Amino acid sequence: MIKNSALNIAYFLGSMAILIAIWQLITIVTKSEIPGPIATWAVFKELMAEPFYDRGPNDKGIGNNLLSSVGRVFTGFALGSIVAIPMGMLMGSSKIGMKLLNPIVQILKPVSPLAWFPLGLLAFKDSGGATIFIIAITSLWPTVINTAFGVSSIPQDHKNVGKAFGFSTWKYLTKIVIPYSLPHIFTGLRLSIGIAWVVIVAGEMLSGGVGIGFFVWDSWNGLSLEKILVAILIIGGVGLILDKGFNALQNLFSWEGK
Amino acid sequence: MTTQNLVKFVDSASDFHKINSTGTAVSIKNVTVSFKGSKGSFTAIKNISLDIKKGEIVSLIGHSGCGKSTLMNTISGMVMPTNGEVIANENVVTGPGPDRGIVFQNYSLLPWLTVYKNIYEAVDSVFKQKTSIEKHELVEENLKMVNLTQHKDKLPGQLSGGMKQRVAIARAFAINPSILLLDEPFGALDALTKGSMHIELLKLWNMDNRNKTIVMVTHDIEEAIFLSDRVVVMSDGPAATIKKIVDVNLPRPRNKKDIAHDPEYVRIHDELLTLLFDKFSIED
Repeated sequence: MIKNSALNIAYFLGSMAILIAIWQLITIVTKSEIPGPIATWAVFKELMAEPFYDRGPNDKGIGNNLLSSVGRVFTGFALGSIVAIPMGMLMGSSKIGMKLLNPIVQILKPVSPLAWFPLGLLAFKDSGGATIFIIAITSLWPTVINTAFGVSSIPQDHKNVGKAFGFSTWKYLTKIVIPYSLPHIFTGLRLSIGIAWVVIVAGEMLSGGVGIGFFVWDSWNGLSLEKILVAILIIGGVGLILDKGFNALQNLFSWEGK
Repeated sequence: MTTQNLVKFVDSASDFHKINSTGTAVSIKNVTVSFKGSKGSFTAIKNISLDIKKGEIVSLIGHSGCGKSTLMNTISGMVMPTNGEVIANENVVTGPGPDRGIVFQNYSLLPWLTVYKNIYEAVDSVFKQKTSIEKHELVEENLKMVNLTQHKDKLPGQLSGGMKQRVAIARAFAINPSILLLDEPFGALDALTKGSMHIELLKLWNMDNRNKTIVMVTHDIEEAIFLSDRVVVMSDGPAATIKKIVDVNLPRPRNKKDIAHDPEYVRIHDELLTLLFDKFSIED
């Protein structure tokens, strides 16, 4: 068991080493126009020295920016999920529901968050609200689709148990539909949070204020490429943690192979 | 045709099922079941009539696709007849009900619930008026009956086929139905486990004073003869009907070792073989 974990960590470090090697290669090829790992590390240490400083509404430490982004992501994600899960269940359990709602899903799904942004601003009048809106409306689709799939694929065997023993609608939902669909719902949530995290960075670049996306845009304006690279690494790192976190949550609720 | 059955006036535990005064538990009246498919209509069974007495054990036997499961599903209420009707416990069958317990072919245990909870949820669903304590007692009782008390917290994935089937049987018995419907319940088990399950089923039936009517779908001739009072042989599908009903007048309790030597058993076995097969050796 420990050997397994050690091996996994070794693979991860190896993977990071490959990434850094490619990065260094790019730096050499672009003649240091794109800063290399060493220069970036120096800036990273600088930023980490005072991650939570606050010198005004547009000048905050990277820690503050990150926290504010994460907060907005979870708010948008939560709002999206509250809509997505019942919608998915409706689509999965009734043919009419599927036929009526699926076209809506297919039409809204491909719309870029940036296209939603002006509508969000109009509706919520402030960029924070607009950002949360575009996160919700862009990230909820995987949860809808996966939930619908889970609910619609309940084996007839399980449905027969409910029918044969006269399960009430509530019992059918809580003892058959939800336990069966939960793994699928979690897959959807995992994909959704991934999208949400991508969208927040784009959204914040448009909206300004506080956030990791704003930090990237601000660093570009300040011509600090090292800061941008640091931000990219942090964005990637947080994305990884979010994904692993949801994966762990999914395993917690899984009854298979126990 | 039918001799009057001696009905013992012994109470079932639940007073939902009063003893039927005419002695008929199930009456299938001219039932036809057709399914609408993409290629048109498919008739599984046609014009089947059958009366099953209270406390009788009846097997439905036939080749695959002969509609025996479909016929049983009209009794359980999982399938509605296209024509005709089924009357169970003096009520027309319009859907599943707590007076008819079902044991499915694939056990159909909910894999995320423990053995205990699988039985409990069924009890909880059917006995809305009982207290929580009464319901838990019922589950414990039935677990004990099938000897699974020590496995009550296991998930179905951790059980063998025989154990899963015992849970399914316990679940069906726990809701105390007056009619028990078993759809090839031992089909997926090996011969040894199957043999002991036959004895267990008969034990449970005896424990309730042979009050429960049991209808069983099987394609195992030996199983059908060993367990049943009558064996209903179905013709081949589609539009299957009853080919012949064979009485099994072997005394109870039946013994698996002795029964094989009983000349009456051999005669019935031969008769069923003839009804079901037309080739008996490579020379046919």
